[in-house]
Amino acid sequence: MKKIQSMSKKDFTSFVNTLIASKTYDVVGVKAKGERFVYDTLDTADDLRLDFDVTIIPPKKYFLPQYEQMMKFSLEKPFDVHPTFDDQPRVIIGVHPYDIIALQQSDAVYLDDQKDDFYKKRRQNTILIACDIQKVSERSFAASMKTNIVEDGFDLLVTNIGNTYTITIGTEKGKKLLEKYGKTKDATTEEIKKIKQVRDTLASKYKQKVKIDKKEWPEYLVANYQNAIWEEHADKCMECSSCTMVCPTCYCYDVRDLVSLNMKDGQRLRTWDGCMLKEFTKVGSGEVFRDDTKERYRHRFFRKGNYLPQRYGFVACVGCGRCGIACLPNIADPCDLMNELAHFGKEEETGRYFIKQKTTVVEKGIIHVPRSATIRKIQHLSDTDTFFELELDDKKPLGHDPGQFVEVSVFGIGEAPFGVSSPPTDTPLFEIMVRRIGNVTTKLIGMKPGDKVGIRGPLGTGFNMKSFEGKNLIFCSGGTGMVPMRSVINYVVDKKHRDKYKNITILYGAKRPKEIVFMPDVDNWKKVHDLQCEVTVDKCEPTECWGGCVGLVTTLFPKVRMDKFDSKNTIAIVIGPPVMYKFVIQCLKTMGITDDNIYVSLERRMKCGVGKCGHCQINGIYTCKEGPVFNYQQIKQLPEAFE
Amino acid sequence: MKQKPRVAVFDFADCEGCELEIADLEEEILDLIEIVDIVSFREVMKEHSDNYDIAIVEGSIMRPIDEQRLRKIRSHAKVLVALGACATIGGINKIRNQWMPDEVMKEVYGNANVKGNELFNVNKTKAVNEVVPVDYYIHGCPIDRDEFKHVITSIALGKKPEIPRYPVCVECKKNENICQFELGNFCLGPITRAGCKAICPTNNSPCEGCRGLIKKAETECVKEVLERYKLSYEDIRRRCTMYNYGREECGVDE
Repeated sequence: MKKIQSMSKKDFTSFVNTLIASKTYDVVGVKAKGERFVYDTLDTADDLRLDFDVTIIPPKKYFLPQYEQMMKFSLEKPFDVHPTFDDQPRVIIGVHPYDIIALQQSDAVYLDDQKDDFYKKRRQNTILIACDIQKVSERSFAASMKTNIVEDGFDLLVTNIGNTYTITIGTEKGKKLLEKYGKTKDATTEEIKKIKQVRDTLASKYKQKVKIDKKEWPEYLVANYQNAIWEEHADKCMECSSCTMVCPTCYCYDVRDLVSLNMKDGQRLRTWDGCMLKEFTKVGSGEVFRDDTKERYRHRFFRKGNYLPQRYGFVACVGCGRCGIACLPNIADPCDLMNELAHFGKEEETGRYFIKQKTTVVEKGIIHVPRSATIRKIQHLSDTDTFFELELDDKKPLGHDPGQFVEVSVFGIGEAPFGVSSPPTDTPLFEIMVRRIGNVTTKLIGMKPGDKVGIRGPLGTGFNMKSFEGKNLIFCSGGTGMVPMRSVINYVVDKKHRDKYKNITILYGAKRPKEIVFMPDVDNWKKVHDLQCEVTVDKCEPTECWGGCVGLVTTLFPKVRMDKFDSKNTIAIVIGPPVMYKFVIQCLKTMGITDDNIYVSLERRMKCGVGKCGHCQINGIYTCKEGPVFNYQQIKQLPEAFE
Repeated sequence: MKQKPRVAVFDFADCEGCELEIADLEEEILDLIEIVDIVSFREVMKEHSDNYDIAIVEGSIMRPIDEQRLRKIRSHAKVLVALGACATIGGINKIRNQWMPDEVMKEVYGNANVKGNELFNVNKTKAVNEVVPVDYYIHGCPIDRDEFKHVITSIALGKKPEIPRYPVCVECKKNENICQFELGNFCLGPITRAGCKAICPTNNSPCEGCRGLIKKAETECVKEVLERYKLSYEDIRRRCTMYNYGREECGVDE
């Protein structure tokens, strides 16, 4: 049982004014803005409006600001990066229960095994003074979501019980604040009884009610993935992402580098992004993975009602009703949507769009801040492709598994993910291949040996090479899929490891002869007697020098020496462009290789690399965390994986 | 030391307000001239040179002589930047495209004898990219100075500037504004390109669409919103006239 104090309204006002006068904290409270309300710094307790219904945007702006500087960098020095933290102690007065619960949810994401240091710092520096709701917002359905009252997650909780306020002590931090700046007495039994009365009366005032219990949201959503309602509503969607901007449980962000006009220094900034925006899933090559408005519209509801419940065990909607107010065509309100779904069926099995998997914590230190590395070697392979050897300046080995990736920063330009193309080593050297497609790649290609870049990683889940021991291996790659594949192949053909694996077959298709990456490696593999290596090109002009096969990578399958291996004991690894998977996997199945023995590596927009920013999601999973390497048996259930 | 890129600023039919925004960089103008050599900028200097790498072009293109001049600029410049709504989308000057050029001439000059005078020979108004290829766009009426800086530093760094392709609503929500529709106003924010930091709605004035439309005005979703707020297609067409005349059906074009 939490300790409860009481305070006259006059004393509460002077408590707030004393806090403001102390100048120890940025004292934030709910203020009126026209007919609506916002969180803002208080100059006087007179501006505090605890009788508000709902604020325009939630208090998440104090933990994940609309625009947040993550680090400063110099363009004059080779590598000079400094993370920037907000050290401002802050008290936020007037946080409604549903927003407290929303904050606890973003804690689950931002303070998980890979803690976001910027968020953590802000969270530690903030004292939350919650308040029980006094006026129900017209669009709110918090009572249905059981988020209209809250038991913990606050430092203090203020309840208006008529003539006085009761203050429930949530934490030691809250208690000390109250003792230092306020005058209270123990609440009487009568007063404590009133708290419940106040809450019960208020709970009965909700006009908006969800017919489906939140425990059942995942079941209704899963059963209706293909329902026509997504498209019907999406036709009306303005794609403005107002719904995600005002949502207390939407925490996706984009990152940009901004450079001062003096070109001497710059900053890396993150800003709210929204999954309703088309460019949200766009990768460097221009591909958009959730191209249809319908897919984006559905994704938002599934993330709230199915994906996050699978991952964290909670429905990521707290019923504040802000999206319903913000949406111009009025299609964003989860209450309306779920009530519509109530007319359709539900399904018990709710985990279909998620992969439960233990992910390893790969990044140590401040997860968003790169460490420095030096470009050691640059080799231009073709007009578009350049090979880089990089060395970490801390002289530690990268320590990656084949299939993992790194985020490479060129400060001032930005950051982009690259598959590591070299096998694991004991040295601080590693290799990547860069194809000219966007800003970062173009800049990298113009750099010189000795230049510095930033590295984060290794990131993601790679291949578990141990689990492949004693098996035959078929490697099938298309285009730049060879980049991460080379890391795997050179690992298994290495003398140290070769004995552990049986027959090895390499199938590789490139668009044109000049687009074959790592030709020297390919030549080497061809020379090795204990493996079969077949290469093909889609197309070859008469002017091009090419004596090998012409045709898609699937044309190589008949050449595989089937007598050499038993398909039951064979692992196939497939990495290539999205269109390739379907056809190659069909060939593998024909050969008798089962789905659970097929592994794939998928490309998505991996921006943060640590499961926070939301861009790389394939249904419920993060490509940057659970992937990019997946077991086909598991990933094939996710409709967004191979669409 | 590497030679600084040479920049020339030109104006066509416009109010020169966007150029003024550059001149208004105040002390940062010193940073600007550290990274580029400004060789021509009529609004702020007397000197002129035709030897430049980057041409920044303000204004809409109204006459055949303007087209000739613009083509010449394009042929000198390695990079051409369209500056401000008049240049990027035609802007306010396109209002006159509602009428034929001779009707406009008659309305303005009456019976004055201007025949044969090339200064008075007008076409329909064009945006810069309707005459020559444009490499980069700095949208707005007027431009946003931060975006100008972003585009200039991006060009200097050799990167493609990141210009939003999403609607003003995104920035408006971040600014915690009460929606203009909620206040009973008709705002073009939902179909207008962001990047202005939602300056108009933030200052209590609905968006007029100066950064160009990113959605066709006649789509299912727009109809839905118009209906809900008791507006008609005619209303939106009329609203678009100010900056986007003839562009209601374009959607996003670059």
